[in-house]
Amino acid sequence: MLLKLLIFPGFLFLFLCALFFDWVDRRMLARFQGRVGPPWYQPVADLIKLLAKEDILPTGVNPLTAAVLPMVSLAAVLTAGLYIPFGAFSTASFEGDLIVVLFLLSIPALAYFLAGWISTGVYSVLGGSRALLQYFSYEVPFLMALAGPAILAGSWSITHIVDYQSQTIWIALMQPLGFVLAIIGLIGKLKRDPLDIPKAKSEVVAGSLTEFSGRKLALWHLTMNMQTVVGIFLLVNLFMGQSSVFGPIPAFLSFGLKSVGILLLLSTASALYARLRIDQLATLGWRVLAPLALVQILVATWIGG
Amino acid sequence: MKPRMLSSTPNPLATLTHRIVQWARRKSPWILHFNSGGCNGCDIELLDLLTPRYDVERLGILKEASPRHADILLCTGPVTRQSRDRLLRIYEQMPAPKWVVSMGSCSCSGGVFQGGHNILGGVDQVLPVDMYIFGCPCRPEAIIDGLVRLLEQIK
Repeated sequence: MLLKLLIFPGFLFLFLCALFFDWVDRRMLARFQGRVGPPWYQPVADLIKLLAKEDILPTGVNPLTAAVLPMVSLAAVLTAGLYIPFGAFSTASFEGDLIVVLFLLSIPALAYFLAGWISTGVYSVLGGSRALLQYFSYEVPFLMALAGPAILAGSWSITHIVDYQSQTIWIALMQPLGFVLAIIGLIGKLKRDPLDIPKAKSEVVAGSLTEFSGRKLALWHLTMNMQTVVGIFLLVNLFMGQSSVFGPIPAFLSFGLKSVGILLLLSTASALYARLRIDQLATLGWRVLAPLALVQILVATWIGG
Repeated sequence: MKPRMLSSTPNPLATLTHRIVQWARRKSPWILHFNSGGCNGCDIELLDLLTPRYDVERLGILKEASPRHADILLCTGPVTRQSRDRLLRIYEQMPAPKWVVSMGSCSCSGGVFQGGHNILGGVDQVLPVDMYIFGCPCRPEAIIDGLVRLLEQIK
């Protein structure tokens, strides 16, 4: 059990995946823009360098809170990762773990806001409040989109939803609308490029993380990368679970391929689209995405009953 | 500020850690750009580095917006009396270890602005400079060469 928790599919595996996904993402973005992109060891070098740098905090910042926030968000993301099966491997699973995962995955958003709030900088506070507003815009359509597979499979357990898809087909094919909404929600959750409003470099420097340096910044970056991995794994499980299509390929291999596929989708989105303003995102979230998610849930209830 | 010196008795583990950390520092220099009063020519040449033609991300170089995230302060333009305090303050906000690169003739010596009533001179009048890159404006190739030579010194 400890081996499962710490090595595979636990912390070490998620950590390596986070570094790998970060590199693939940056490399793909560079290739889309006609650049070469960073070498494979780039995320490792960034992490070690940040860990070895001086740790400065502005005056007036509570050092304990500043140190605890990135740790709490990293712990929340790692715990969420435990409940998400990787192919046929799963560390822990129970009825209702989907809801636990969703709640754990929203802790970093609140910690991010708090990090901006305690930093006492203008850009940090602005980035933090933007992050909170963004949270209210994407989270509701995201949750409703993820409720679609649960309603269809008749269970709030991720393992059951995956099993349901093994007997039928991918839920992404049954609920394409829900899948698209979930992808948009995930982009908002990860604060990735079209929706990187809270940390837009040209507007709010680095958002909540403007005043963070050294180890704390490294932990924040690690949290973000882990969140990417966990979010993508969650979406693969819910929408592209084991299916008879990939019969001869081992489950973990096809799972890895599907995850990288979703990552490529996210990279493409960040290469294609320009950043939205925060009011545009709020409008999009509440006037377009949320009603569409409701329609999706109605359809799912009607089909799945 | 220079990286910490090793103690005289070499401890193999400490040496290994030191080498790994220095490797990471060589491979992941994040740049903060500050123009302390130049004509903007060098700044445009600096932005060339991010374009597909030169693409410094292949060397791990990223352009950061916050001084707290940066390793290298890339200065352009001569230091004016007004921008001196800002330049110092930005430098002091950067976490150690940090390096300063003076980019362009004005930044290295004051350039054509030398002797002006509002000019202090080059960046080295205010900050300890680790690498000078000459040119008016310097070519992107020269900037990359200067940065790579600076990184080679981190051992």
